[in-house]
Amino acid sequence: MADQANFERDAMEYAPQLYSAALRMTRNPADAEDVVQETFLKAYRAYDSFQEGTNLKAWLYRILTNTYINRYRKSQRRPAEVELGELQDLYLYKRLGEASGASVSAEQAVLDSFVDSDIKDALESLPEHFRLPVLLADVDGFAYKEIAEILDVPIGTVMSRLHRGRKALQQKLWRLAEERGLAGPRT
Amino acid sequence: MNNGCDHAIEYVYHYLDQELTWGRRTRIRWHLRRCHECCNAFEFETKLKMLIRDRGKDEPPAELFDRLRALIREEAARDDGA
Repeated sequence: MADQANFERDAMEYAPQLYSAALRMTRNPADAEDVVQETFLKAYRAYDSFQEGTNLKAWLYRILTNTYINRYRKSQRRPAEVELGELQDLYLYKRLGEASGASVSAEQAVLDSFVDSDIKDALESLPEHFRLPVLLADVDGFAYKEIAEILDVPIGTVMSRLHRGRKALQQKLWRLAEERGLAGPRT
Repeated sequence: MNNGCDHAIEYVYHYLDQELTWGRRTRIRWHLRRCHECCNAFEFETKLKMLIRDRGKDEPPAELFDRLRALIREEAARDDGA
């Protein structure tokens, strides 16, 4: 059992990550702060039930995710299931290869061209059922099993959403590179 | 492309996410040593994964910490008072 008196000391170090995740979820700084504040309040009240020595970061993310879902899912139109069945594996890599003749320097140039806001916008553009697993795995570095516990879904669901979500993310990045003429077919 | 390539590409994300059993991991590592094409693909995916991790984050406003601390102390004081 964790001691409530230690909550501030134990949990505060996760505040920046939680805020950043909340911002990707809500896409709005004021809402992100609200979600983090509510998360901290709920976590503080429930801290007696947290098993000390287990995964505090995952426990906090579970509360964060539930808080976000309860607050915002109801108010949002459920995003249409995106048809991604046709997207190939290694989507971005393959498309770049087709466009640039698979030169490592051309691939690197495209990766280097992406600035923070490109990556953030691409993440935020994903439908929620893809966005959360991709955020938790790629930005926050959680293991599949932890993501399954945070989102309360089977691990197989985590893997398939993560796989499809990554392809969708790569498609966004590909389109961006294409728009900028960085990856267009050679004329 | 051969069986080794198919196997490697099928498990590329499991490999990068360190979610493979030792046996599969070893098989893929062995394949990557011999297959230039797959090795390039894995390197690209590794760089992309790092890019998303490094560029997908925001710093919170400094006041957030103060607000969180105040929130917890207020809640603690309420508990003490009750």
